[in-house]
Amino acid sequence: MTSRSVNEAAANGATPKVVVRLEEVRKEFGEAEALAGVSLEIRAGEAVAVMGPSGCGKSTLLNMVAGLDRPSSGRVVVHGEDLTGLNETGLALFRRRRIGMVFQFFNLLDDLSALDNVALAAQLTGTPARQARRRAQELLDELGIADRRNAYPAVLSGGERQRVAVARALMNRPALLLADEPTGALDSHAGEQVMDLLLDLNQIGQTLLLVTHDPRLATRCANRVVDLADGRVAGERSLERAG
Amino acid sequence: MRAVWQAARAAVRRRRLQTLVIALVVLVSTMTIVVALGLLDAATAPFERAFARQQGAQVTATFDAAKTRPGQLADTTRMPGVAAAAGPFDQAVATLDQPVTVHDPGPVTVVGRADPAGPVDRVNLWSGHWATGPGEVVFSSPPGLDHDGPHAALGSRVTVGGVPLTVVGLASSVSQSADAWVSPSQITALHPTSVQLLYRFAHADGDAEIRADTAALRAAVPGGALTATQSYLDLERAVEHVPSAFVPFLMVFGILGLLVSALIVGNVVSGAVVSGFRHIGVLKALGFTPNQVVAIYLLMVSVPAVVGCLLGTALGDLAEQPLLQQIFHGVDGAFLADSLGLSAWVNIVALLGMPLLVVLAALLPSLRARGLSAARAISAGSAPRGGRALGIQRRLSATRLPRSVSLGLGLPFARPGRSALTLAAVVLGVATVTFANGLAATMTAYGNAEEGNGSYQVEVDTGRAEFGMTPPTHTDPQIQSLLGSLPGAVQVTATTYAPARLAGHAKGLNLRAYRGSSADVGALVVQGRSFHGPGEIVAPPGFLEEWGVSLGDRLTLQTAGRQEPVTVVGETLSGDPDYVFTDWSTALAVSPTLTGRQYLVRLASGTDVGAYGRAVRAADPGLRPSAKVTVNAGATTAIASSTILTLLLGAVAALGVFNTVVLNARERRRDLGMLKSIGMTPRQVTVMMVASMGALGLAGGLLGVPLGVLAHALVVPITGRAGGIAFPAPMVEVWHPGAIALLLLSGVVLATLGALIPSRAAARLTIAQVLHNE
Repeated sequence: MTSRSVNEAAANGATPKVVVRLEEVRKEFGEAEALAGVSLEIRAGEAVAVMGPSGCGKSTLLNMVAGLDRPSSGRVVVHGEDLTGLNETGLALFRRRRIGMVFQFFNLLDDLSALDNVALAAQLTGTPARQARRRAQELLDELGIADRRNAYPAVLSGGERQRVAVARALMNRPALLLADEPTGALDSHAGEQVMDLLLDLNQIGQTLLLVTHDPRLATRCANRVVDLADGRVAGERSLERAG
Repeated sequence: MRAVWQAARAAVRRRRLQTLVIALVVLVSTMTIVVALGLLDAATAPFERAFARQQGAQVTATFDAAKTRPGQLADTTRMPGVAAAAGPFDQAVATLDQPVTVHDPGPVTVVGRADPAGPVDRVNLWSGHWATGPGEVVFSSPPGLDHDGPHAALGSRVTVGGVPLTVVGLASSVSQSADAWVSPSQITALHPTSVQLLYRFAHADGDAEIRADTAALRAAVPGGALTATQSYLDLERAVEHVPSAFVPFLMVFGILGLLVSALIVGNVVSGAVVSGFRHIGVLKALGFTPNQVVAIYLLMVSVPAVVGCLLGTALGDLAEQPLLQQIFHGVDGAFLADSLGLSAWVNIVALLGMPLLVVLAALLPSLRARGLSAARAISAGSAPRGGRALGIQRRLSATRLPRSVSLGLGLPFARPGRSALTLAAVVLGVATVTFANGLAATMTAYGNAEEGNGSYQVEVDTGRAEFGMTPPTHTDPQIQSLLGSLPGAVQVTATTYAPARLAGHAKGLNLRAYRGSSADVGALVVQGRSFHGPGEIVAPPGFLEEWGVSLGDRLTLQTAGRQEPVTVVGETLSGDPDYVFTDWSTALAVSPTLTGRQYLVRLASGTDVGAYGRAVRAADPGLRPSAKVTVNAGATTAIASSTILTLLLGAVAALGVFNTVVLNARERRRDLGMLKSIGMTPRQVTVMMVASMGALGLAGGLLGVPLGVLAHALVVPITGRAGGIAFPAPMVEVWHPGAIALLLLSGVVLATLGALIPSRAAARLTIAQVLHNE
């Protein structure tokens, strides 16, 4: 455990708070069973990588935690909120307050500048435009792309786009950062940069849940790996991070 | 070809919503076009249409039965120049004992005829059956004009010429060849004294030709045998001015209907092709040739369009007849009602024009896609990003508006072409609503003035012995004071008609004279003033125009041995051009034996009209009270037709907005998924999508309202001139700030209604599926 909150908790002799708890979560799509009773806990400050072959249920698991999809049975509790009891608006508010998401293909709005893409997440909560832009500017500064704040996604490199996406995910100071193949669409150099970024975030206390095929990303950024196979947890291992 | 067909079928199946929208838009648009063109067709030359439909008689001739032999009459039907003839039919004038639809008790012309069909004057038997047996009679009546229940004319027992008959049918003849028809055997009981023949001639295009045809008829029979003739041209002149008043505004609705429908169909179809660019790229990558791709897309939009067009034409035809009957209900006589029918050219225009429009609308973007490489077509499939759109979004981001609203306001700029077409449809929709609103206000004011609403509530006619009615037991002045003494009466005005001539003119005119209040005339005066004493007249605009008279002119009224100078002091809103209004003493000066023929009674507020009528009948059985008609048929027709067309056009425009939101949401699925993933609530998604159209709606309101006001200002005076109505300024200037504000909002309402359903569907989009289908 290398992250700050986990270390602090250990130093204080306390167990870090559980941020994510999945209890016997099942998800069926017709006849197919994407998740077959997954139970999992993620504590504050952890960086957990979910790995496994295509179709094993990685993305479905991430969707359950993000409240993007609902389980067929079981419970999903994130930051003390039971997502199974929330309606669509409740889930939207949950995503807004508790989580940030980073996607493989960035999912930036092409007609907004980098700054406005980042500010958007705060503006949806009702934060005034000026205040949201100030915070967005700070985040772009921290992530090293402040000079690209007025550029539109079409002219940004892959790595820059993913940094903007990470900034947007961090805009509302989420308890949990979810990343779905965050380096999957990047070249190796840009991928390295994003890995460094995620590692840095975790080291300052940001809880991470990564879904990836990439063992390098897992070993670099995660301190625990959960292996999924056929919708079940096939194994878990703690890692000493390479970084 | 098989591959093209299969790919097109697959595309239709995959885009069920889009296919449904295309079919629906084409259906409603086609229906609108069919109804709008049908309305125009019905209102344009209705007499000619009805005349052609019924093979009307160009000359209806009445012969004295005593002066001709049947063989002589039969010979006239074979004369050179006679194209077709019907008859001879025995004809009698007999007294009807009670009202039957439009016929008052009194003398009616009855013809003995075996059936309503024939080579000339194919009578439209619209209710019941033809009179074929003894004791049966068919009365003429405009289609649809009958009461329900115990007051129905059909089935009622009447006496005609002392012979008891049962009304077994109601029919209308454009040639007005009879008031009633009985079987040839039944007519003998009515003692016919004349014979009717109905002719169509090879040459009958003008009065001169008709006069020549009539002269030939007269020459073919013994002198004095041809007692009367009626030319179809006289009938036509008598009825044409009423429907012609409706042509200008129906024309506006027709044009608006065509424009809105064409715009929306073009937008929907081209949008469907543009949104399929990515698919086009994939098809090309699979090996489809550019021509095959164009064929696939033309097929994809043509299939639902053709289905929509066929259904729309069929539904338009189904709706048109009852709709037009309803709209034109009450407008003068059977002529217009008989003209209402399905015209082949309307269906041909719809069935050929709409698919052509669809193919053209699809062809332009298809050809563009045809020229793109597979890779470019795929990348062109997402929402375009333009420089102006980016600048607008940047400015909107900095506003204090809720972010969902500011994002929505920027959306139309991403697809400027599509947004412009949608805006144009909304503008025309708002212009239609505005125009219809103004028209309704004008026509309501006109109807109220025309019917003298509020100036009296009861009309009392006197029974006339010469028509077999019970005459009143009281004299004219006694009747006026009797009516005034009954409970509830506030004021009684006697009116009558007196024929006269204007010095220097051969043609006669009629004076309508008032004894007592002339408030109903006063309400109609739009220029000058009402008459206040002897020697003053008020005239309708048609009279002033036809007789070349202006306000302030002095004229001389003449009758046999009498003359009276009068001054024209006022012009009425409308009226028969052969009638002028004056006070009793002026009419008495030219017609000393004048007596009241009708009494107009103003009742105290809250008085039961029915109870007053019963009291009148009890006081004198020779008096015939009736409640004043308060609804003006012309105004009702104008308002009803404009309302129906506005609803149809509004629905088409709203469907256009619906389609635009469907296409925008489809193209922005990924963006919507991302926005939801970062916490945009379903309500915010709905607000964003509705706001994107609300902005267009507001712009549509700002542009459409002045357009509608302008159309109203241009069309109402034209309608007035065509219908002999001089609309005064207060009836034309109907716009108030409150009404304008509401009309400005009508664009927003229209856009919101169209956007709501697809916006809510966008709000329910499954995020996980969208974001991972990259």
